[in-house]
Amino acid sequence: MKIAVAVKQVGAFDDAPDLMPDAALVPSTSLRRTVNEWDLFALEAALELRDEHGAEVVAITVGDEEADEALRTCLAKGADRGVRVWADQMEPDPLTVARLLAEVLRGESPDLIFCGAQSSDAMHASTGTALAGLLDLSRVAVIKRLCYDVEANAVQADRELESGLVERVSVAAPALLTLQTGGNQPRHANLRAIKQAERQPLEVLGLGDIGLQADDLERAAGAHVRRLAPPDRSGRAEMIEGGPDEVAQKILEIVSSRLAP
Amino acid sequence: MSRDPRHDILFEPVQIGPKRLRNRFYQAPHCTSYGSDLPGAQAYLRAMKAEGGWAAINTEFCSVHPSSDSLPLVSARLWDDADIERLSLTADLAHEHDALAGVELWHGGCVVGNLESRLPARSVSQMTDESLYSQSCYELDKAGIREIQGYYASAARRAVEAGFDIVNVHGAECGAITQHFLMAKFNRRTDEYGGSIDNRARFWVETIEQVREAVGDEIALTARLCVDTLNDSPLGIRAAEEAHRFIELADPFVDFWDLQAGGWVAAEWAGDDVVASRFAGEFSHRDHIAAARAATSKPVAAVGRFTNPDTMAEAVRSGVIDIIAAARPSIADPFLPQKVEEGRYDEIRECIGCNVCASRFPQAAPIICTQNATLGEEFRRGWHPERFEPAKNADRDVLVVGAGPAGMECAMVLGKRGMRRVHLVDENAEIGGCMRHISAYPHLGEWGRLVNYRQVQLDKLDNVELVLNTRLETEDVLTYGAEIVVIATGSRWRGDGMNGPTQAPIPGAEAGNVYTPEQVSEGAEIAGEHVVVYDTDGYFTAVAMAELLMAAGKRVTMITPFPNLGPSLFLTGEAFKINRQLRAAGVEIIPSHVVLEIDGDRLSGVHAFSPDPVEWSADSVVLVTQREPSDELYRDLHSEEERFESEGIEAVYRIGDCVAPRLIADCVFDGHRLAREIDSDDPSVALPYVREVASRPRELPDLAPISATGPATPR
Repeated sequence: MKIAVAVKQVGAFDDAPDLMPDAALVPSTSLRRTVNEWDLFALEAALELRDEHGAEVVAITVGDEEADEALRTCLAKGADRGVRVWADQMEPDPLTVARLLAEVLRGESPDLIFCGAQSSDAMHASTGTALAGLLDLSRVAVIKRLCYDVEANAVQADRELESGLVERVSVAAPALLTLQTGGNQPRHANLRAIKQAERQPLEVLGLGDIGLQADDLERAAGAHVRRLAPPDRSGRAEMIEGGPDEVAQKILEIVSSRLAP
Repeated sequence: MSRDPRHDILFEPVQIGPKRLRNRFYQAPHCTSYGSDLPGAQAYLRAMKAEGGWAAINTEFCSVHPSSDSLPLVSARLWDDADIERLSLTADLAHEHDALAGVELWHGGCVVGNLESRLPARSVSQMTDESLYSQSCYELDKAGIREIQGYYASAARRAVEAGFDIVNVHGAECGAITQHFLMAKFNRRTDEYGGSIDNRARFWVETIEQVREAVGDEIALTARLCVDTLNDSPLGIRAAEEAHRFIELADPFVDFWDLQAGGWVAAEWAGDDVVASRFAGEFSHRDHIAAARAATSKPVAAVGRFTNPDTMAEAVRSGVIDIIAAARPSIADPFLPQKVEEGRYDEIRECIGCNVCASRFPQAAPIICTQNATLGEEFRRGWHPERFEPAKNADRDVLVVGAGPAGMECAMVLGKRGMRRVHLVDENAEIGGCMRHISAYPHLGEWGRLVNYRQVQLDKLDNVELVLNTRLETEDVLTYGAEIVVIATGSRWRGDGMNGPTQAPIPGAEAGNVYTPEQVSEGAEIAGEHVVVYDTDGYFTAVAMAELLMAAGKRVTMITPFPNLGPSLFLTGEAFKINRQLRAAGVEIIPSHVVLEIDGDRLSGVHAFSPDPVEWSADSVVLVTQREPSDELYRDLHSEEERFESEGIEAVYRIGDCVAPRLIADCVFDGHRLAREIDSDDPSVALPYVREVASRPRELPDLAPISATGPATPR
C-alpha cells in the first residue's frame, strides 16, 4: 500500500505582522515557518495505518527551498520519502497548488491520499477537495478517526458533526481523505531521527518534471489575492480608565443607560 | 510591539528637589545581606537595575553608627571613611547607567542587638523589642537625642562624600528609632518628645532638618514613612492622622516622600510591609497611601509589588503616587522598566510574591530570587539576566528530561546560549513539573508566573522544542540522539513517613488511610471526616494540604515537631497571618510533637521535651515529611555508561530536585547554573565564584582602648 500525505509549510505569526500598504503577501520576516497543524494529524493517521498494515508513506509539498524543512519534519516523524514540487512565481492559491499536486500524484499512484482539512494560514479548506476533483477520486472531508479494512480495501472514517454527532462513512480505495485535528496524537521525532532526516535526500521536482507549462498553472489559478490588511477599526470601542471602583461605576452607567426604556 | 501610549506617563521625568528622576521607576531600598561589607556584590546588584532602566536605585537600610548594629541581620553602614569608600562603588556604577543612587539612613533604637559593637541599645523609651531575647535598652535623655541626631548628620555627610544623590531618613517598617518616637506604642515620654503627635514627631523632624543642613541643597532628601501600621492598636499610626500630621511638619525639609504601610519585624505587624502574594495583589496599600499623600504636594513614591504597567499608570494618573517604587519586582526583573519602555510586555519576569528574597534577610544570607536565578550573581559570577554568551559547544544537541523549575530554566538558558537543538521532554501535557500542583494550591496562583514566563520564552526560541505527553525510559534516552543529556525529573513526597526529627520512616505509614501531598493534589478520595496533617517540612505544603482538606469539608488537625507551625514561613513573613487564618478556620495546631507511629485511626507520639506517650485519633493522615529525588532515570542511565560513546552521548547531568529536593529557587538556579556553564571543562561541577572576603590586615592595630561612644577607624 502507498499513502501520500500532502503537507503545507505555513507561516505562523510571532507578533502582529508588519504589512506593507496594498501588499498581497505577509512579509516573511513576520512569519515563523512551521508545518500546518492539520497536516501533522494527517501524517500521523498515515503513519499509524502504516504501523498497523504496512505501507509506504510519501510526504509531498508544494513550496520553495525553505519548505524542505517541512518535509524533513515528516521524514523525522517516520515518512519514507519526501517530494517537493515548485514553480517560480506561481500563485499559491488552492487550485494552482492542487494542480501541481495532482501531476505529482498521478506519477505516484497512491492507494490513499491524506490532506489536512485546512491550513492555518490561508484557511481555504479546498486544496484537498480540488485535488480529489482533478484526480477524479472519492473524497471524504473533515475526518476525526479512521481505520482500514484490508479485505474490503476500504477506509472506515468517523466525521465529527455539529452537536458532537459522529457520521461513520466507508469509502473504497483509492480515495482522498482530509483530516481534522485532535483525532490522534501526532508523534514526536527524537533528535536521532531529526539528524537522520537531515541526511536523507529529498526528491525535488520542477514544472518540466511533471509535464506542465507555466500557462497550465495560470489557467489553473482561481482567486487572486489583491490586498492584505488588518480590519478597519470600527471606532466603537471605548477604553475605560480608572481604578476598579471607577471602572465598575462606569460599566454600571453604560449598562444602565442601555437598559433604560 | 511598541509601547501602549497609556504607559507613556511612566516615562515622564520627575523633579525631586535638586535632582531629576529620568522616569518614574524607583528601586526602593531593600535588603540584600551585602551591606557595606560586600561592596562589589552590593554595587553590581544595584547597577543591574540601573542598567535595566530604574531611574534611581537604593541601598538597604544603612546604619548611621555602631550603637545601631543589626547583627546578625545585615545592614549597610556609614560609620566611617572606610564605609564611604565601600559604598561609593554603588553610587559610581549607578551613575554609569544614568541612575540616581540613594541611601537609607537608619538607627534601630531598641530593635538592635549590637552583637558586634556590644554597645547598649538606646531608644525613645525604656523598651524591650519582642524580636530580641534577654536584653533591653535605655531611654535617651536630651543629650542622647542630640547625639543620635548627630550620628544621622555625620552619616549623611558620608553619604554625600560616597557620591549618593538621594538621602532617605528611614522611619518605616516599625524598625527605626525615628518611627519609634512617632509611635505612641514605643514613645512613653512625657517631655517635649512625647505625648502629642507634634511632640512625638519632633525627634524625626529635627533629624531631617539636621540632615538637610548636613547635605546642603544639592542632594535630594526624602523620608521613608510608614503611613499606617495596619494593626488595630490605638497606639499605631493611621494615615489620616499621625502620618498626615507628620508629613505636614516635615514637608518643608524633604524633596519627595517615600511612603509605605505595615511592619516587618514583629508579630503585631505580621509582615504586612512585604505582603506575600497569598495575601494580596498589586498596590494593596493604595487606600492608606492615598490618604497620606493628601498631606503633601511634593512627589510621592510608594511600593505595591507593581508588575503590571496598567496598574502603575493608573496609580500615577489617579494622583495617588508620582513615583513607582519597587523592591521585589525589581529583584525578579531588573529590566522591568526597559521592557515596559520598549513595549516588550511579555518579556516581563513578574515577581511571584513568594518572599524567598525577603526570607534571606532574617537568615543573614545573600539575597536570592525564585524567578531570577541571576539575582545576587551579578558580581560574583558575572551573570546578566538578559545577556547570554553563545556556548562554545553550541553545535551540540541537548535533551532535557523533565520540564519542572530546573528543566524549564535549563532549557531556556541553553536555548538562549544558542545550542543547536534543545528538546525539553515531559510526560505531562503541560510544562511546570511540581508547579502544576503548587500553583493550584489555595492562594498560590501567582506562583504560576514562574511557568508562564518560561513558557513564553521557550515558545520564542526556535532552537528549543517542547515535547509533551512523552515519557522517556532509559533506552529512549540512550537512543535519543542528543550529545548532552540533562535529567531534571524532580522529586516526590515520601509515603513512608521518613522524616527529619526521627530520621526514620513512621511505622504504619503505608496504610490505606495515609496520603502524600501529590495524592491529595491529584484528587484522592480522603477517607473519613477528621484528617491529621503531619508536617516536618515546615513550609507551604502542609498549609496547602490543610486548606485543600478544609475546602473538601474535612476537620483538620496539624501536628508538627517545630515549636511553631511553618518555621520557613516565619522567614518569608507569612507565618503570623497563616497561623491566624488557620486557627480562625478551626484548624487545630499541635506544635512541638513528634509522630512515632500510625495504627489505623490512632497516631502515637511524644512531646519534644517529654518521654510520655501521646495519642491522637484521625480518620486519615497526610504526611508532609520529606521529599526524595525521582532519580531512577539518572541512575539507570549511569548503569549503562559504557553505551554512552556508541550512542553519541558526551555527558549526562542532573539538576534540581532530582539531585536533592530543595527550594524552587534553588532548583531554578541549578538549571540556570548548568546551562551557563555547559561549555566549561566539567559542567557537573560549579565554577568557583568570586569570594568577597576581608584580607589579612597589613598592619595590626595597637592595643590601646578605643572610645565606646565614637566610631573606631582601623589604623
